[in-house]
Amino acid sequence: MFQKKIEAIEPHPAKGVQQLRTTVMQERITAFARDARHFQIVFLGGFLLFGILALDWSRRAEEVAVILGTTLATQFFFIRRLGLDIRSWKSAAITGLGLSLLLHAGSLVTLALAASLAIASKFLIRDRGKHIFNPGLFGIVLTVLLTGDAWISPGQWGTGPILLFLIAGAGSMVLLRVGRIDTGVVFLTVYMALDLVRSMLYLGWGFDVTLHRMMNGSLLLFAFFMITDPMTTPNAPRARVLWSAAIAMVAFAMGTFAYVHTAPIWALALLCALTPFFDRAFGGARFSWLAPAPFHDRAPTLNVEPTLQER
Amino acid sequence: MNINLQFASLALLAANSASAFCGFYVAKADATLFNDRSEVILVRDGRRTIITMSNDFQGDVKDFAMVVPVPTVLDRNDIRIVERRVFDVLDSYSSPRLVEYYDGNPCIQWEYAEELDVMRVPMAAEAMADKASTRARREYGVTIEARYTVGEYDVLILSAQESNGLKRWLLDNDYQIPSTAHEVLDPYIKSGLKFFVVKIDLERMQAQGFEFLRPIQVRFESEKFMLPIRLGMANSKGTQDMIVYAFTREGRVDAVNYRTVRMPTDRKVPLFVKERFGEFYKDLFKRKWKQEGRNAVTLEYAWNVTPSWNGMKCDPCVGPPPMPQEFVDAGVDWAGNWNGGGQVFFTRLHVRYSREKFPQDLFFQVTPNTEHYQARYVLTHPAQGDLSCEAGQDYLEELYYRRAMELDELHALAGWDISQHAGYLADVRRKLVPERRNALEPTGLPFDQDGGKGGPGSGTMLLLGIFSLIAVGAYFLPRSLTGRHTA
Repeated sequence: MFQKKIEAIEPHPAKGVQQLRTTVMQERITAFARDARHFQIVFLGGFLLFGILALDWSRRAEEVAVILGTTLATQFFFIRRLGLDIRSWKSAAITGLGLSLLLHAGSLVTLALAASLAIASKFLIRDRGKHIFNPGLFGIVLTVLLTGDAWISPGQWGTGPILLFLIAGAGSMVLLRVGRIDTGVVFLTVYMALDLVRSMLYLGWGFDVTLHRMMNGSLLLFAFFMITDPMTTPNAPRARVLWSAAIAMVAFAMGTFAYVHTAPIWALALLCALTPFFDRAFGGARFSWLAPAPFHDRAPTLNVEPTLQER
Repeated sequence: MNINLQFASLALLAANSASAFCGFYVAKADATLFNDRSEVILVRDGRRTIITMSNDFQGDVKDFAMVVPVPTVLDRNDIRIVERRVFDVLDSYSSPRLVEYYDGNPCIQWEYAEELDVMRVPMAAEAMADKASTRARREYGVTIEARYTVGEYDVLILSAQESNGLKRWLLDNDYQIPSTAHEVLDPYIKSGLKFFVVKIDLERMQAQGFEFLRPIQVRFESEKFMLPIRLGMANSKGTQDMIVYAFTREGRVDAVNYRTVRMPTDRKVPLFVKERFGEFYKDLFKRKWKQEGRNAVTLEYAWNVTPSWNGMKCDPCVGPPPMPQEFVDAGVDWAGNWNGGGQVFFTRLHVRYSREKFPQDLFFQVTPNTEHYQARYVLTHPAQGDLSCEAGQDYLEELYYRRAMELDELHALAGWDISQHAGYLADVRRKLVPERRNALEPTGLPFDQDGGKGGPGSGTMLLLGIFSLIAVGAYFLPRSLTGRHTA
């Protein structure tokens, strides 16, 4: 009788530990998955490693260190100054990784300049509680224009189905979580349609020419990780469709008629500047990284009033 | 020990560089190694482009003819002929190089280092011919915009309304165009390109006493910075090599619609590579080209070559540096001005292309990237003399492992079968005293008992890593989505 009791009790502690472990794991996983920025950091970091190790980029470790160091330092400066949520370092890390993926420069100082401009733009160029420019984009555009020492290599990714799979797969996962996949998809669709019409129907190139252009890793990265930045896209879904279609058209025109090979970047900078007008015209709820994200903006009542903490 | 010597010799080189171009010339992997090749000098200065095409036409020169799409109707002054020598100078100066170093004998208290160099790589073009003008317009829709005589060449600038007419005109006028050319004539015509059409005048050529076709240089202003490679593409599978010698004021030239990759450089290779350096480089290039998916542009050289600039121009130099006049002949017209003519940055790109892997023409951009690069391979001669002292035995041991690494490198770089080169290691082993010899660790090379080793490269591993990341992410995604909906 006595023996039986012990037997009955014994399994419980073990089960309890197991349960606790499972719960801790689950909580960690849920905590990780709740913020799409975690995925973004993992994927962008993965792309950077892939570029350096498999694609033979001439990206040096100290360059990445300077970019990431400067973005984080600038972010922490503003966190302290404005008393923001410390978790916003994740946004700065994403910007830093984005810059490491895209921007090349002759000196480390130029890279540091780009990184600090990028982060500072988030806090200094704002409209109604929302920053206007995609920070990485702002840093790149200004540095390329001002220093003459920085450049983008649109060919660095090459082309290939495997890239399409990697970038689109990773990108859509991040985007599904934040509900802004529409921007990337609309951009790619319109851009490809324009290219098909001109290259195939008008000029008479084969389909492989359009395909080769669309498979460009830089373009895909742009479509899935840059233009989709939820903080700088218009809030209303309809506005986003128009906005991304406009980016595609401007980028196509610049690339085709002016031979600007980095046209999407410039088009995005232009249209970002117009985002406040889209927001005024179409309304919509502002995005927040930490709120239970409005999936395709179906829960517009949340976080209508932006707070400093969310920058 | 050998590492110290390497540094010693490099330092020596740096010290000398300002005064003298270094080293003896040993061997080079020059452009002539590659069949079916073309060479192009591409100068970009603002909106100006100057293209020089080497016409190393294989066959009877009377059959030579060439069609090149150009963005504008060229003026007579925009076309000139340059000497073939310009290509040779640029090729030999920028080609991949083999360098030699000598180890000192550690048993004798002096060190001696010297370096030699070897190397380079090459390119090609297409063909056509001409006749009357009003007929051209009426029957073919082809307009002869201009007609020039330039040296031994007859040049026409054509514009066309549609590809069939142009194609018929070209064929009827004895310009042989590749069978796939029709695919691209229409796009070129509709993009507003003109056609620069060249034929040879045999009589004039003979009168001038030239045996070979001299390169033609054209200059024009256009936003387009590209090479129309599609027109000359033979068929879907065949590959062609092209070497581009690019010059800018700012820095390197990069392809924008294909990847630009660097050749492996500064690798130590076994001594016996010296006799077969050309073959080595060819194999190395082929391997790299395959490894990068056969659709990349390869960087072979990038250097500031400004004539008045006193920095080190190469390490070591394969040939004498081009003289300012040679730059000017190549189209780098600002290089002739010694005072404030501006920087001259030289980029050498090697493209092996095929219709299948290069659907688009090659577009380039000028970047401010002035980082120097050269494809360089290193030979190290062993120390000579009696090596029986303690330090000498240490040296031999190091030499043994170094040679094992060189063999391994050779296999990895060029894919050569190294199993027949066991003697390269045995030479060193023999000189070691028996107890040292027996204490040598296995090298892992195929002829060692250990056998060869394999394993996926870092790229493959990384791809696998990223795939698994995505898989992990994909696993969590549905859960978090549903979690959110219930919340």
